[in-house]
Amino acid sequence: MNGSFAIELENVTKVYLSREDEVQALEPISFRIHSGEFVSLVGSSGCGKSTVLSLAAGLIRPTTGVVRIMGKDVLAPSNRVGYMLQQDCLLDWRTVKDNITLGLEFRGLKTEKTESHARFLLGELGLAHTLKQFPSQLSGGMRQRVALVRTLAVQPDILLLDEPFSAVDYQNKLYLEELLTGVLKKSKVTALLVTHDLEEALALSDRILIMGNRPGRIRRTLEVPEELRSATPLKARGKPSFRPLFNELWKEMDR
Amino acid sequence: MKKWLETWLTRGAKSDAHARYLRRLRLTDGWVNVTRLGILALFVAVWEIGAEKGWIDPFLFSSPGRIWDLFLRMAADGGLFQDIGITVLETVIGFVLGTAAGTGLATLIWLFPFLSRVLDPYLVVLNSMPKVALGPLFIVTIGAGFGSVLAMGVAITVIITTLVIHSSFQSVDPNYLKLARALGANRRQLFCRIIFPACIPDMIAALKVNVGLAWVGVIVGEFLVSKNGLGHLIIYGFQVFNLTLVLLSLLIVAILATVMYQLVFHLEKRLLRHRQLE
Repeated sequence: MNGSFAIELENVTKVYLSREDEVQALEPISFRIHSGEFVSLVGSSGCGKSTVLSLAAGLIRPTTGVVRIMGKDVLAPSNRVGYMLQQDCLLDWRTVKDNITLGLEFRGLKTEKTESHARFLLGELGLAHTLKQFPSQLSGGMRQRVALVRTLAVQPDILLLDEPFSAVDYQNKLYLEELLTGVLKKSKVTALLVTHDLEEALALSDRILIMGNRPGRIRRTLEVPEELRSATPLKARGKPSFRPLFNELWKEMDR
Repeated sequence: MKKWLETWLTRGAKSDAHARYLRRLRLTDGWVNVTRLGILALFVAVWEIGAEKGWIDPFLFSSPGRIWDLFLRMAADGGLFQDIGITVLETVIGFVLGTAAGTGLATLIWLFPFLSRVLDPYLVVLNSMPKVALGPLFIVTIGAGFGSVLAMGVAITVIITTLVIHSSFQSVDPNYLKLARALGANRRQLFCRIIFPACIPDMIAALKVNVGLAWVGVIVGEFLVSKNGLGHLIIYGFQVFNLTLVLLSLLIVAILATVMYQLVFHLEKRLLRHRQLE
């Protein structure tokens, strides 16, 4: 693994074709994310953030260029990647227990050991009592926590997060952010987060990529100072350097 | 008596206010049932008395008493139950086969989108065609008997089931598919674990519609084949102008169709238990 990155995009473009039109979603973009790094992608809607994430997840193929995960070309969804969406997408006909092991089931990794690890994660997130319940019995915040457990149960090295906390209320969002960073720190997982919440990006990330519109491109990279990186998301929001940086980000977005 | 009624009306109450609430609720429930039964009783009574007094012609409209007498006579010689058995068998098999074949066909065209596009206009034509018009074709190919009636029951349900279930397959939230693929699902897993179970509510809805449709198919089939079954009794009664027989058969069909619908309804409740949880 000499010099290979967790996620690497090299001159990647994406053109969406339809009968009427072709739309260039991304102009050649390149970036690299180190192992263990937390990077956020921000930008106005329609700038191709989610396209970048889908490319990294192997859900779609780039029109030109190369996407690499752990130094290997991405041709299909990789076993080392976990993916999380804004919607919890829990299957309402399965109990929580069967929902959190869905990824293990799909990948043929469902064993006594992996299953008990999934149950352990559920306990870590304070939901051990919901094991036999159905998703319809849980609140929105709890459902998203179950979705997080399902994502982590496959023990990914890389997490791809597509606005995972934008549908839950503010209190739950802060709580989930704390949980997430806690888990990531422990397991040294790489994360790529797509969000339109600049506060969230600043509180969670080591680095922020600001994307521009039509076609999508990376306009600027912002390194988050150590003061904010070492603090938990909740504490980072209270640091003196947080506001000025937020304003800078805001101005950059506004351009 | 009054006291007993009062305790029954307020059973399970948590407080006085709750007791009053329950009492009002249960009284309304009671009156709804009483009124329902009252309407039925009134209808039967007016019909019987009207036929007795000559307000309506009992030769055309029969009377509840005559229908009951005929029922007892036909029940005694056992022929009626044979007809009921045949018709129920045809309907149940027809509607199970129709629904299963429709779901199978929908699965097939989901698997092969090319096939789906090719078949689309054919399905639309077949769906808009009145299936009972196919009756003569069934009779000349399968023969006038059980097979033809069954074919009618299947024909009337299979195309609409295919269309409904296929569109249900296609309307599964794309985010679920995205997520499942990212979690490593292959196409088979995607279908068996996500799409098919997600569409079970729609399949049950199709089942409910098909109960009614299968009855139409089978009764019309029996009209045409006219050997046995309740449809045969109706057409025979009509031909010999025994309207009592026609009305008796209609009544039995109504009761059986309701029973079948209730069975599907209970199946739905069982299968969709997780939805009722709060």
